[in-house]
Amino acid sequence: MWNSLAFRLWRAAYLRAVSSAFATVPLYRETWALRGRTDPVLVPGKTGTGGGALPADEVHRRLVDTAPLAGGSTEPDPARGLAGLLGHATERRSHRLVVVVDSDVARPPTGLPRGSRGCVLHPDAATAAGDEPVLREIVDTLRRGERVLAVGEAKNLDMLSAELPAELPPPDRVPHHRIDRPGGGPFGLLHDPLLGYLGVLRECGRLHVDRRHVYVRETPGGLAFTVLDRTSPRLVDVLIGGGVPGEVHACPKHASPVIDT
Amino acid sequence: MRAASVRTTAAARICDPRVDPPPGGWAEFADAARPHAVWDPDLLRVEGWLARNPPLLVTVHDTGGIVAALSALVCRPTRSPSYAPRRFRRGPMWVEVSQPWLSGLPGIVWRPGVSGDRLHAAVRSAERVLAQHLGAGLTGVFYRGVGSDLLPELAGRGRIHRRTDSSAVLDNTFADVDEWLASLSKSRRGGLRRHHRRAESDPALVIRGGPGRTDLDAATVAELLNNHRARFAARSGDTRSPITAPYVEAFVRRPDVHTLTYHDTDGRLLALNTLLDHRDVVVKQHWAALPREHGGRSGLYFDAYVRAVRWCIAHRRPRISSGRGKLDVKASLGFTPRVVHGVIAPRPVMGR
Repeated sequence: MWNSLAFRLWRAAYLRAVSSAFATVPLYRETWALRGRTDPVLVPGKTGTGGGALPADEVHRRLVDTAPLAGGSTEPDPARGLAGLLGHATERRSHRLVVVVDSDVARPPTGLPRGSRGCVLHPDAATAAGDEPVLREIVDTLRRGERVLAVGEAKNLDMLSAELPAELPPPDRVPHHRIDRPGGGPFGLLHDPLLGYLGVLRECGRLHVDRRHVYVRETPGGLAFTVLDRTSPRLVDVLIGGGVPGEVHACPKHASPVIDT
Repeated sequence: MRAASVRTTAAARICDPRVDPPPGGWAEFADAARPHAVWDPDLLRVEGWLARNPPLLVTVHDTGGIVAALSALVCRPTRSPSYAPRRFRRGPMWVEVSQPWLSGLPGIVWRPGVSGDRLHAAVRSAERVLAQHLGAGLTGVFYRGVGSDLLPELAGRGRIHRRTDSSAVLDNTFADVDEWLASLSKSRRGGLRRHHRRAESDPALVIRGGPGRTDLDAATVAELLNNHRARFAARSGDTRSPITAPYVEAFVRRPDVHTLTYHDTDGRLLALNTLLDHRDVVVKQHWAALPREHGGRSGLYFDAYVRAVRWCIAHRRPRISSGRGKLDVKASLGFTPRVVHGVIAPRPVMGR
């Protein structure tokens, strides 16, 4: 594996997330105590099915049980993790306006670099008449000669570009990739409606995991993702895209974890 | 001194139902003692994993098998928002010998024929093994739901016992429901008949009952039970954890658990009642209902009583216990209060 100290820290963060979820979150307590899990095994003799990973639709159905006993939000944030990945997702370091064009994202991304603002545009609104405030904001920003970054499904980004006046420079764009529908480069973000942004396609052509905030492990059910820094809803070992088989290894160029599906 | 002769033959063992198999001889003991459904080690395993104070199953053995079994909840003064860890932590704690879901009944069951000195010695043996297992942080044992029959075996020098809220018991001496109704006051009789008739004739009410229910959504049942509990202020010292869906799932499927449900025609669960079948004391256990402001119906509480008593009469069960609380209402339904004690054995006198 990549740099062993970094791997050990990454792994330690994951083990803390598992331990905490087992001790305080009903969904994981029920699943792992009564059925079991692997890597790590928490109840001797119980290894469960699929290594203890849970399909995303089951987690979504039981979101109320993903809040810890102490209480917390049960609302997922599909824009989670975007800000931390933008640095690797585009060549330009910052944009005045970051627009997420996705029907699953309801709230703008937070934690953007100073001077950047985030907003959300529903794909249906992108094709509506020109009185949509977000569209007006995009046009005004482009007219001022400032940069706009559009993030979303490729077809939604195409729709947005078609709606903008032809005389304006096009916004930069970073398409979403789904784990079960990987796209080509050179840029892209691995996105899931439940877990948010999980990784980024870098110039080496590999899908890099957001290792500061996300852990991924191989299970019999497919690649299982864990959001490391979100306490509620707690999302641990979630099989996204219906469970896609894959491998986790080190990028030879960047020495950080990448996934191959 | 009275237990000295039998003390050497009674050996106590502690089983953590979460990870240990049922104690040796449990099947034979369960056949003989017929404990209520909540004592099933499989249910205790589910309950233990999903509780803050998981029950330990303490069994006392002699050459003939298990003499007595205790359900021991390890409790701590601070209630952190987390499930119990696999290994017991250090620090101050006490043990409550009780069955959390059997109100008014003790957390001890014993083999028929065991009483007096043998039971006394068995309990002391269990206390010693608890002290040994839990270490220096254990401050004592608190026995809940102790009836007058068991009190002499638990009380003693240095121990404290007090009367607590009585539990309500109905002795079934009736030939049919009408005879039971005839024993009640005129106003209560009329009210019960009216509520039962209204429930029976309501086309918007779907009433189902029976043992081993597999048609229930456990998550909905658990939610109704927990919401119902949350509406009433928790009694101080209530160490019970919320009821969970996996526990309900396993519980209502048992053949000795009868579940009565009231749904509306949209399939919404309005109320439910569980009845634990038993040859000596049938327990009218969980009752939960939606409040009226959320679409609940009035009178179902009484309808459930009519159905429970009718079932017990039809199946010739000698006694029904409906737990503690609402004693005035239960008295009007013919139930009589049964004296219940709490007994504390501080650490210095445990095992003595």
